[in-house]
Amino acid sequence: MSQVNRLREGGRIDRARTLSFTFNGKQYQGHAGDTLASALLANGVDIVNRSFKYSRPRGIVAAGAEEPNALVQLGSTEAAQVPNVRATQQALFDGLTARSTNGWPNVQRDLMSLVGKLGGRFMPPGFYYKTFMAPASMWMTYEKYIRKGAGLGRSPMERDPDHYDHLNQHCDLLVIGAGPAGLAAALTAARGGARVILCDEQEELGGSLLDSRELLDHQPAARWAEQVLAELAGRDNVTLLPRTTANGYHDHHFVTLHERRTEHLGETAPWVDGHRPSRSRMHRVRAGQVLLATGAHERPLVYGNNDLPGNLLAGAVSTYVRRYGVVPGNKLVLSTTNDHAYRAALDWLDAGREVVAIVDARQAPDGELVAQARARGIRIITGSAVLEARGSTRVSGARVATIDAEAFTVTGQAETLACDTLASSGGYSPVIHLASHTGARPTWNDDILGFVPSLVKGVHAAGSARGIHDLAEGLADGSAAAVKALEALGRTAQTIELPQVDARREGAACALYQVPHEKPTLRGPKQFVDLQNDVTAAAIELATREGFESIEHVKRYTAMGFGTDQGKLGNINGMAIAARCLGKSIPEVGTTVFRPNYTPVTFGAIVGRHCRELFDPERYTALHQWHVEHGAEFEDVGQWKRPWYFPKTVGGKQESMHEAVARECLAVREAVGILDASTLGKIDIQGPDAREFLGRIYTNKWAKLEVGRARYGLMCKDDGMLMDDGTTSCLGENHFLMTTTTGGAAGVMEWLELWHQTEWPELDVTFTSVTDHWATMTVTGPEARKLLAEITDIDLDRDTFKFMDWREGKVAGVPARVFRISFTGELAFEINVQANYAMHVWKTLFEHGDKYGLTPYGTETMHVLRAEKGFIIAGQDTDGSVTPEDLGMQWAIGYDKPYSWIGKRALSRPDTRRVDRKQLVGLKPKDPTVVLEEGAQIVFDPDHAIPMPMVGHVTSSYYSPTLESGFALAVVKGGHRRMGETVYLPMVDGKTHAAEIVGTIFYDPKGERQHV
Amino acid sequence: MSEHTATWANVYDVRPETEVPAESPLAWSCHHSGRPSVGAKSRVVLRERAMLGHLILRGGAIVLDEALRQVLGFGLPARPNSLSQDASGERSIQWLSPDEWLLIVPGGEEFELEKRLRTALGDAHYAIVNASGGQTLIELEGECARELLMKSTPYDVHPEAFPVGKGVTTVFAKANLILRRPTEERWELVLRRSFADYLYRWILDAGAEYAIGVEA
Repeated sequence: MSQVNRLREGGRIDRARTLSFTFNGKQYQGHAGDTLASALLANGVDIVNRSFKYSRPRGIVAAGAEEPNALVQLGSTEAAQVPNVRATQQALFDGLTARSTNGWPNVQRDLMSLVGKLGGRFMPPGFYYKTFMAPASMWMTYEKYIRKGAGLGRSPMERDPDHYDHLNQHCDLLVIGAGPAGLAAALTAARGGARVILCDEQEELGGSLLDSRELLDHQPAARWAEQVLAELAGRDNVTLLPRTTANGYHDHHFVTLHERRTEHLGETAPWVDGHRPSRSRMHRVRAGQVLLATGAHERPLVYGNNDLPGNLLAGAVSTYVRRYGVVPGNKLVLSTTNDHAYRAALDWLDAGREVVAIVDARQAPDGELVAQARARGIRIITGSAVLEARGSTRVSGARVATIDAEAFTVTGQAETLACDTLASSGGYSPVIHLASHTGARPTWNDDILGFVPSLVKGVHAAGSARGIHDLAEGLADGSAAAVKALEALGRTAQTIELPQVDARREGAACALYQVPHEKPTLRGPKQFVDLQNDVTAAAIELATREGFESIEHVKRYTAMGFGTDQGKLGNINGMAIAARCLGKSIPEVGTTVFRPNYTPVTFGAIVGRHCRELFDPERYTALHQWHVEHGAEFEDVGQWKRPWYFPKTVGGKQESMHEAVARECLAVREAVGILDASTLGKIDIQGPDAREFLGRIYTNKWAKLEVGRARYGLMCKDDGMLMDDGTTSCLGENHFLMTTTTGGAAGVMEWLELWHQTEWPELDVTFTSVTDHWATMTVTGPEARKLLAEITDIDLDRDTFKFMDWREGKVAGVPARVFRISFTGELAFEINVQANYAMHVWKTLFEHGDKYGLTPYGTETMHVLRAEKGFIIAGQDTDGSVTPEDLGMQWAIGYDKPYSWIGKRALSRPDTRRVDRKQLVGLKPKDPTVVLEEGAQIVFDPDHAIPMPMVGHVTSSYYSPTLESGFALAVVKGGHRRMGETVYLPMVDGKTHAAEIVGTIFYDPKGERQHV
Repeated sequence: MSEHTATWANVYDVRPETEVPAESPLAWSCHHSGRPSVGAKSRVVLRERAMLGHLILRGGAIVLDEALRQVLGFGLPARPNSLSQDASGERSIQWLSPDEWLLIVPGGEEFELEKRLRTALGDAHYAIVNASGGQTLIELEGECARELLMKSTPYDVHPEAFPVGKGVTTVFAKANLILRRPTEERWELVLRRSFADYLYRWILDAGAEYAIGVEA
């Protein structure tokens, strides 16, 4: 198919390179340098989508990020699907495949449009809420179909072949937008020696200079841009980022930029040296100062059927003609309120096509461009506007009449002009989105008829972004703003010598937003305000009639400026209409808040490489490889991967978890087991006041712990609730090794530092984490001593190396500290060696362990064994509301210590003294085959009317292969006084279990086994 | 073996006297994730310097500095977030916090050094903790090493902000590490043992586009 609208020459495209692409299943051709939008227009494709709500045919309106209609779904394969790409922002590449986001079965013949046509009048704002809200339970069902019918693209169902990344950037000055003001600013700052980042969302840097009619230094403006960019590119203090959208402005000048690195090359990143570069990249910029040179968006006029394909922004017409060599039609009518838009007509004429008329809302326009247009014989109809477009699937005419904008009335007889393209310009809205992200409310400026950004400290705006639309002034403004920004950083810079711009006198613009029509807004043809969300002037009028006076409410009721659009074209017009209806001025109505992101961002770019195997750190012990090689199933404990259990394969069948745990438990109780306990937190404490410090941080006493001994300790928060527990060993008079729970390690370390640094800085003591330095292996069971004796020089005699002693010596030739600490209730030795040697020691133990039945066990078996002994796990049996006394651990509280300790005072509060607090007890199910559910609620009276008073819950529950019964730990109100009583546990399935309250120690209550 | 040099601290050599197989924190990672070879196109090269002696020093700067000069021949770095080294570059001291420094020496020197420092420090308030098993040092070199760091850490690694001799503790991917720049070309990362595998996989992934190679 030929490119009917392509000019023979002109534009920044490469006619020598022809690219093929597919749109809605049809093949077309374009050129290198095209966007998908310019290529579609070149091929005369009018309808690119169906509208969101009414399913009306829609064409391309704009040439940049503000495009509301041309949202496409990219991708020739399932994995390559990308939804909601603006065709105006998608560079053309060979083989590009795109479909319209909406339209079923296709955009030309759309079944949903029947709904729009028939129902249009019956689908006012709030239609869905009003119609489908009742019954509420059905909303989910309705919603599914409504979404399917409406839809805004779909996500891929297959794994993305591309990858994405982040880059952290720092700079003195971040310049957003590489148009005239941005380029002048970047050059100023760069010459001043500052670190500068210049980003722009378009394919090429240069902004409006790329399609400007203006001359700079007597040559095309794009030439000047090229020269500036060449200088910037040659400086190593400058980072240039084309195809990079500044999407979010966060606190402290942290700005997220999204760079489309390979989207212009293909639908997946092309291979380079056997590797795919990342497809998109998020630059996380921390800037000293930020300069917004984001330019302005042209505002369309709101008139009847202004959504028909063939309605374009005036500036977009110029861009397509001058930048892409595409004239999107033959006969143009331009409706404008200002001089600037006259360029579109002149460009159209230069392209050799017919300009039917310029319809100017002003009574007596008199600027230079107006004179130029007159001189070239263009008919100018003053004091008038286009009331409505005519046509069914493309503009075929424009009804024009004189109007009184103030009075909002049509004053003359309408004339219909035959045309196929209708360009409009209602003025220019500075792009204030990013400034708005900082929380600064924009202010209305009557001179430019637009909101200008308010700026928080460190943010600057220049050029059109703050309403300075004149080219010469914009260039100067950019340079001056850069100087100001650098001065704020304490640097000096000089403004640059600016290029010569031919001064052009422009006449004043007039204020016109919604064009009046002969019929009232509610009865006339649809006048669209927000094309993407299908919000009409009538909808806004209706919303104000229904009592929505705040612009924020109007927005939510009508959906104006929602979603991916963020009100780029429609917001000001919508506010103006609301203001008219409410009899207020625009600044009185105010503006809505723009939110990040400015344009949609692919999830990949947000996630970067923090996904899949790199989603979260996995922490491994020094013995991890052995565990993997021996088939361990792993459990996540914090970020640690701990062996959960080691299933064996017996007769070709792998053990279940229950079978493996039962075998591991019995091995420890009857022979010997081994656990990798390296994950326990370990803190080396040194200093003459170490002992004193321990006494204040733990509830129990440390004054008399001798060198060579270890002690179990409880740590409370200042509210008296248990925080963590562990054993601490006295290594030297001023030297201790504290252990913490695996998950509590970092928190305990911070806790110690907090109290030392803020409350007791006078104590001479230091804390250093040695968790990773030591690997810890627990050898436990009746045969533990015999096994260890084979490979150590330490005297393991029960009388010289007693329970809760530690000794140092060699194990398997490696220097080790061995602690007689038991978390299983059996004879146990915890061997600590420098982690680099751990694998050797572990393997040596297994070389000697076979004959004793040495069995590796994991965290599940550890849990069962400790629970049988009533040893708590902080964080499982406690939840921040449990005191040591609630746990029945009065023996570990030193109320009579000479210096107070953390939690002591709280433990004397009336509430912590209550006897009916939830207290830790054992539960023995009446039916030994029952394993109670952890978390199950406990009641005293199962026959009580619902709601039953709940008196506690199960904290730990397992099946014990040793006891051949289920058993549990639980907290029960006043539980310590209720030994022998029966409690009940009503379950979800209707069953009620009965259990007896017993002591917490189910096995070896006298603790003889660990002392052997 | 045990050295109760003073009764109040327990100091002993954690290294075996005999030849015993040892595994650095990256042993499993190199086995599991492999070591991409260094080629002509490698724009980043990673090298582990395993089994070094790592000591954490705590205490007052003046007394520590004096003792270090006496025992090691060079003292503490003069400023926060910086590094001092001996002439060979084999031994370095890095500021970690106002009363905390990391001393890295060739493997095997650390115990003797600790003893001599303890003697030199006498009754001063200080602590020395051997952390050699808990961390490892890797080096990154190559034209894209800095960009790889930019992918990974929010810290500013631009030469203006991160001159030679600087060293910081910072966020790297979703973990922490110590990052330092001992020479113009070389970056050093001190990784915690338990996070080493995650960080190794991260670095290989981030370095793939630079054809990262790992020197054995």
